[in-house]
Amino acid sequence: MEKEFDCVVVGAGHAGCEAALALARLNKKVLITCLNLDSVAFLACNPSIGGTAKGHLVCEIDALGGEMGINADETAIQIRMLNEGKGPAVHSLRAQVDKNAYHNRMKKVLEDNENIYLKQAEIVEVIVEDKKVVGVKTALGEIFSCKTVIVSTGVYLKSRIIIGEFSQNVGPNGFASANSLTQNLIDLGFTIRRFKTGTPARINGRTIDFKKLQVQEGKDNIGFSPLSKNQNKNVACCYETSTNLKTHEIILKNLKRAPMFSGEIKGVGPRYCPSIEDKIVRFPNRERHQIFLEPESLSTNEIYIQGVSTSLPADVQNEMYASIQGLENAQIMRNAYAIEYDCIDSLELTPWLESKAISGMFFAGQVNGTSGYEEAAAQGLIAGINASLKMDNKAPFVLKRNEAYIGVLIDDLVTKGTNEPYRMMTSRAEFRLVLRQDNADSRLTELGKQLGLVSNERYEIYKSKQALLNQMRNKLETLIKLDDRLKTFLEKNEEPIPKNSIKAIDLLKRNNIDIFKLNEEYGLFDNSEYRLMETLNTEIKYSGYIKQQNDEIEKLKKQEQVSLAEIEDYSKIKGLRIEAQQKLNKVRPETLGQASRISGVSPADITVLSIFLKAKK
Amino acid sequence: MEEKTICAISTPLGNSAISIIRISGDKSLEIAKKYFVSKSLDYNFIEPRKMYLGVFSNQDIEEKCMMVYFKAPYSYTGEDIVEFQIHGGEYLAKKVLEIIAGNCSLASPGEFTKRAFFNGKISLDEAEGIIDVINAESQAELKSAYNLSSGRFNKQIVEFQNMLKNILARIEVALDYPEHDEELITTNQAKEALKEISNKLHELITNSNSGERLKSGVNIAIVGSPNVGKSSLLNSILGKERAIVSSVAGTTRDTICETIIYKGIKFNFTDTAGIRNQGDEIEKIGIEKAKKEIELADLILFVVDLSRDMNDEEIRLLNSLEKDKTIVVLNKKDIAKEKVIKNYETLAISAKNDENINAVLDRIYKKAISNNIDLSKIVLTNMRHKNILVKAKELADNALNEISNLSLDILAFEIKKIWQELGKITGECETEEIINEIFSRFCLGK
Repeated sequence: MEKEFDCVVVGAGHAGCEAALALARLNKKVLITCLNLDSVAFLACNPSIGGTAKGHLVCEIDALGGEMGINADETAIQIRMLNEGKGPAVHSLRAQVDKNAYHNRMKKVLEDNENIYLKQAEIVEVIVEDKKVVGVKTALGEIFSCKTVIVSTGVYLKSRIIIGEFSQNVGPNGFASANSLTQNLIDLGFTIRRFKTGTPARINGRTIDFKKLQVQEGKDNIGFSPLSKNQNKNVACCYETSTNLKTHEIILKNLKRAPMFSGEIKGVGPRYCPSIEDKIVRFPNRERHQIFLEPESLSTNEIYIQGVSTSLPADVQNEMYASIQGLENAQIMRNAYAIEYDCIDSLELTPWLESKAISGMFFAGQVNGTSGYEEAAAQGLIAGINASLKMDNKAPFVLKRNEAYIGVLIDDLVTKGTNEPYRMMTSRAEFRLVLRQDNADSRLTELGKQLGLVSNERYEIYKSKQALLNQMRNKLETLIKLDDRLKTFLEKNEEPIPKNSIKAIDLLKRNNIDIFKLNEEYGLFDNSEYRLMETLNTEIKYSGYIKQQNDEIEKLKKQEQVSLAEIEDYSKIKGLRIEAQQKLNKVRPETLGQASRISGVSPADITVLSIFLKAKK
Repeated sequence: MEEKTICAISTPLGNSAISIIRISGDKSLEIAKKYFVSKSLDYNFIEPRKMYLGVFSNQDIEEKCMMVYFKAPYSYTGEDIVEFQIHGGEYLAKKVLEIIAGNCSLASPGEFTKRAFFNGKISLDEAEGIIDVINAESQAELKSAYNLSSGRFNKQIVEFQNMLKNILARIEVALDYPEHDEELITTNQAKEALKEISNKLHELITNSNSGERLKSGVNIAIVGSPNVGKSSLLNSILGKERAIVSSVAGTTRDTICETIIYKGIKFNFTDTAGIRNQGDEIEKIGIEKAKKEIELADLILFVVDLSRDMNDEEIRLLNSLEKDKTIVVLNKKDIAKEKVIKNYETLAISAKNDENINAVLDRIYKKAISNNIDLSKIVLTNMRHKNILVKAKELADNALNEISNLSLDILAFEIKKIWQELGKITGECETEEIINEIFSRFCLGK
């Protein structure tokens, strides 16, 4: 049996799978281990992929040649475009996926890849010599040598679940936790922190009175990846209900038994994923909280109760869930729980997710303090790419904040750090208007191709889409004759009539005219090109704003190109304020641009730095 | 390094025969041509390093002046530089700078020197020196911004930012949590808020033009109970100094502001209405104003009548003042014995006999210097603030004009720009602040 690998990926969750596949597709020999092979790409919380900002991440992963998008499309049972009507920058795809199918398919993709060895094992030690990774050791005493390691252990490091007074040292869903690796990380010099998250109960759908609930149907047969052949993505429904005063009363009555308030839980929980008891305490004036019921899989009755994650004791859970409309007779199949786990401080990583202290050791996913499958997958992809580049002695691959949500995510992690599980939000992206789902491929696919990650098939689809877009752009240059038809059209839309004939593109610049109205009247395009028409419409209507953002990006470019790699000790730079020295020494930014984004580093400090660099030359 | 064009007043402010306004960068000459009119000038060929006599003019101003052009790289900064030499006086210099700044940016602390360095005009040995200059100037600017505009001004900007942050958070929740069930924001609400901000910005800008809020110089409030001799003190001070720059008087019960220049520093004295708790409506308004003046002041002269003991009200008032900023002036030394007030810096005078008035001025001067109020930076800071307000208002008005056509993502973009512009004054401009606002206001999450 093989004992030598280019890379060992520790953990086969959403980060680990992307990392292993990226490496394998770049022709590296990969060992990917998982504590339990039944938890490969396991959706431990929501049975859904995407949503605001997360949908953007998935489209970007797909544009770069990653797997998540196509895996979600192939196993989707409902899909919707969120935020239509709120502006194209925030259009976000969300898929309900079949949790079992999702796991099965991803596992099979790993298994089928000749460069990947998928193995059930617990890694207890990363073997390091001279600050360089040389191998890993399993709990069974096996040793595998490797040049790089990607730690993507998710929430499994020393995890503990808590349900009321009960707690147990296990991972999500009763899967075993990894209890040895934390000590190894501490010995290697990493800072370990304890974060917390939670999940709601799963209920048998047979015992839910769906007639009392509002139905939410999927409507768009679209997907994250153009590679997917799944034409039937809407086969299941979600439902909506809410908590009520009775639910709140039950919770308040039992509050002292909630581990969050009794002091039993010490981990830092995310503000954006509060437990129901948290919501009720923090927002006492709200009489109801929304709940969505999501099907877990077509092969089970289990329903995920979104909005009611809790760590209250089991008896309170029974009473509480039963107080909700539609759930009066509900059978809880799996109880809600809170979970605590160890993670590292992402400030100890480079922008390509390698440890600053140990060469060849990469980290990705929830172990870096993030939350969410999509955030994890994005990091896994980037860690995988960079581990491969490192072994090829090539420069790291770092996406900038203006290039991708992935860039924003990782830059935030390694520049600002996070004190709670980090969730991607569109409001974190300062260049939101240029980072859209619909242009993810034009932003990233060429880059993915250069890396060697994008398949020929994916690249051809991208190329023909670009060609079609260009054709359509040219069509918009068509002159539209000033005749009665145009006059009626403009009058109907309350737009002034021009003196001469006018180009279609100029009509589109009018406030009251969009590409769909124009197309309805003049039939320039085939209606099946709906999404591309939307892209064009955005390009034209947003051009002024996009230009403003591009100008801003251009301004920042220079600072992004100034390397700080040679500065060893910031406390020796005269003129930097103490706070700036300390922060800079901690973060050790790669570029002047990154330095400028560290909180506590002022514009004057940046000037001082640039003068120092110039003087050094 | 390719950079934007910058401008600044390069001579110290205060009384001087001439002021020099300097522009550096690619657009220098273009800007100069726009305002400089001279018969001796061939606009197609302006000879470098030659002094031209002409007039600086636009619709507001017509000022005889000299202009000289330094062609890159043969200039202090290594870029194209134009200098205008105009008559001395702060008002004029500010006016000219303001006109020029409409076409380019105001220089940041140490920016001319920084550019000189980056363009190789200054040797490496001097690099450290520049860092000191930049740090010193940034600090001075920060301090002056704080000293002179803290209190009311800063609070007001923070308030605007909070309003914007509130709308922004509501929009962002709508964008990031499409299924959230609270009604978040309507276009009308956003419109109303923007209108309010635009109006308030307008008010602030107008006031800064009349010099009420963003005035430059060291602001001194004369405070005390009625009839302790505040006005006599002010009259004595003014009598000592002939260089009265302006005199703005309100009603007798309103605040009165007088400006003098002493040892090259501009001092704005405000005689406040006597503060006491009873009184009629008009007097109450005066007292309100007095309280605001105290907030705005860099230094306070607290006047006490030596011929009687301080009453409770006076003691309370004195205790409410910042000690570092306060000098207690014991008046009517001619008719009563001096005494000591614990913990306060005191000075006995007789306003009636002009006794010890010079000592008052000296004391103020020293305190202004020791409190580190860097005067040359004050004007620039205030002007920068004003420019920011103008820009913010412009952004708000643009957004208002377009609001019915804007989708939510664009509206958020527009509002964030205003918030960030004002953040240049308050320092609050990190996206994290908005995210904090989102989570503190709304119950979100699965």
